[in-house]
Amino acid sequence: MNWDIARKNFYRQGMRAFLNVLVTALSIISLIFMLSLLNGFQAQATRNLVATDVGGGHYRAPGFDILSPTEWEDHTLKAAESLLRLSDKDKAEVLIQQGQLYPNRRLYPVQIRGVSMEQSLLNLPLDNLRKYGKQIEDVIPVVVGVKMARKAHLKKGDILTLKWRDRSGAVDARDILIVDVGDMVNPRVDDGVVWLRLDHLRSMTDRQGEVSWVAVREYMGPVEGFEFQTVDALMADLLALLKQDRINSKILWTILMILVCTSVFNTQILNIFKRQKEIGTLMALGMEPMRIVRIFTLEGALAALWALVFAVLLGVPFFIWFQGVGFDVTHLSEASFPIRETIYPDYQPKEIFYSLLIVVFLVVMAAWIPVKKIIRLDPTLALRGRAIT
Amino acid sequence: MDKKLITLNEVSKVFKVGEENFTALHEVSLEIDSGAFMSFVGPSGSGKTTLLNLIGGLDVPTTGNIFFKERGLSSMSREQMAEYRRENIGFIFQTYNLLPVYSVYENVLFPLLLNGDKEKDVRDRVMENVAKVGLTDQFKKRPAQLSGGQCQRVAIARALVKDPLIILADEPTANLDTENSLQILELMRQLNQQYQAAVIFSTHDEKVTRYVRREVKLEDGRVVSDKNNVNGTA
Repeated sequence: MNWDIARKNFYRQGMRAFLNVLVTALSIISLIFMLSLLNGFQAQATRNLVATDVGGGHYRAPGFDILSPTEWEDHTLKAAESLLRLSDKDKAEVLIQQGQLYPNRRLYPVQIRGVSMEQSLLNLPLDNLRKYGKQIEDVIPVVVGVKMARKAHLKKGDILTLKWRDRSGAVDARDILIVDVGDMVNPRVDDGVVWLRLDHLRSMTDRQGEVSWVAVREYMGPVEGFEFQTVDALMADLLALLKQDRINSKILWTILMILVCTSVFNTQILNIFKRQKEIGTLMALGMEPMRIVRIFTLEGALAALWALVFAVLLGVPFFIWFQGVGFDVTHLSEASFPIRETIYPDYQPKEIFYSLLIVVFLVVMAAWIPVKKIIRLDPTLALRGRAIT
Repeated sequence: MDKKLITLNEVSKVFKVGEENFTALHEVSLEIDSGAFMSFVGPSGSGKTTLLNLIGGLDVPTTGNIFFKERGLSSMSREQMAEYRRENIGFIFQTYNLLPVYSVYENVLFPLLLNGDKEKDVRDRVMENVAKVGLTDQFKKRPAQLSGGQCQRVAIARALVKDPLIILADEPTANLDTENSLQILELMRQLNQQYQAAVIFSTHDEKVTRYVRREVKLEDGRVVSDKNNVNGTA
C-alpha cells in the first residue's frame, strides 16, 4: 500500500515532479558525459603517444636522456642483432641528434630524428621522405610537424640550412628541403623536431647502423648493451598529467553530485514544507510517522528511478550523436597533449553502472534525510501548516 | 454496554510560547458518552481545539489523564496513538484537510486502506458514503474542483466511512455560508442518529449550538458550563 500511495502522490504532482526528474536526469547525463569525455581524452592521448613514439617500449642506449640534448651524441649504439631481426612492423629504429636550423637567418635549436623508412610500428606522416633514395642529393629532404612549421615559420618547399655535429665532433651544415608539413598529433614528436630518413642521418653523422633507441611492439627480454624503457616509464609525464586530470574530474564529479543531491534534498524539504498539512492529515487519519517517512522516501526513490529512465531516454540519443561529431579540442592540441582536434567519448559500462548506482543511492539518501523531520513533527501544528516555518 | 466513551480527569495543557508558558486548559474534567452529539463552545483561545486534539490523540495533556473507555491515552506509544486514531476517531477540520492529489472517492477510501482493507472489498461501502453526502456525481473530482461545502461533505464522508466511535469536528462550518452550514449540520445529525458515533464539535458558531444536545462552554481553558438537552432533543 505504501508503494501505491507514493506512486499516486508522485505521478499526480504533474509538472513539479517532472521538472525534478528532469533536473536529476540532466545531472546524470552530465556526469556520464563528463566521465566518458575524460576517458576518451585519456584513451586518445595514450593511444596517440603509443602510436607515434612509444610503441610497446624502447630499447635505449644506456644513459640516453631525451631531456639532455647535449649528451645525445654520446649515447648511441649499433642496433643489436636480436632487435634487427624483428620485422619492420614490430620495430622502429630511431636516431636522435641535436642540430640548429636557420630559418630566416634565425637560429632555431632542433632535435634531428632519423627513423627507418621501412618501419610501420610508429604511425608518422613521413611518406614524402620515402620517395627519396638512400643517398643524399643536393639537399636533405626533411619533414616537420605543423606545430614546428608554425613556430619556425616554415612551409612545404622551403629550403634552409641545418647544422649538426658528426661522430668526430666536426660541425657540418647543409641545406634541407621541407618536403612535407605533417600532422604529427603528438607534440613530443612535432615541436622542435626535424624528421629525416634514418639512412640520411646516419650518413650525415657518420653513425652507420647506430640508433638512440629501437621502439618495439612488445618487450622481448633483455638485450645486451641496451636498457629497456617500459611504456609506463616513457609516458610517465602524460600519466602523471592524466592522474591529475582524474583527481580534477573526481572533484568535478563530487560537485555535480552535490548539486544533484542538493536539488533532490531541496525538493524534499520543499515537499515537506508545502505538504505539512497533508502530513498532519495523514497523522490524524492514523498513519504512523514512520510509514509517512517511508512513503515520502519512496516518492524520492521513484523520482530517482524516473530520472534514470529519462537519463537513458535523453542521454542515449545524445551520446550516440556526440560519438559522431566529437568534441573540438583544438586549443588542447596547441598545448602539450597528444590528441587530435576532436576527441570522442569513451563510454565504460562498468563506470557508468557504478556511477548510476552511486547517484541512485545518494538521491535516495537525499530524499530520505529531510523526510526524517516528519517523525518529529507535532501533528497539531502540521495540520495547521505551522510545524515547519 | 458501558456508555462512557471518553473520560477527562483534571486535564491541563500548557504550551510554551517563546519564553512564556501559556495554559490552554486548566484541570478540565469531563465525561463523554457514546452517541453524544455535543459541542465545545467559547471564544478564540478558550481551549476548544486543544480539547478536541487531546481527545483525538493528536496531543497529550501536560497533567491529568484522558481515558478512552478504560484505556489511558497518556500511556500509549506513538504507534498505539496512531492506531487509536485510525480505529476510533474520525476528524473533520475547518479547512477540510483533504488529500489534494486524490479524488473524492480516493479520499473517502483512504481511511479504510489505512485500516488494511482491500479496495475491491470496500468499494460499495465507499460509494454509499459518498452518496450519503450527496457527491455521487462528483466522486471522480479532486478537492480543487469542488466548492467549500462539497469539500466539507467529503471530509464528513471520510470521517464516517470507517464507522468510528468518535467524530471530532473542529469548526466544521467556519468556512461555509449559512445554507451550506445548515446542510452539513443536518447531515451530521442524521448520520449521528444513524451511526451512533459520538460527534463532538468545537465551534463558536451559534448555528451549531442550535443542533447539539449537549453544550460545554469554555472560557480561558476552563469549563464554565456543561448543559445537556440544550435544544430539547435528548
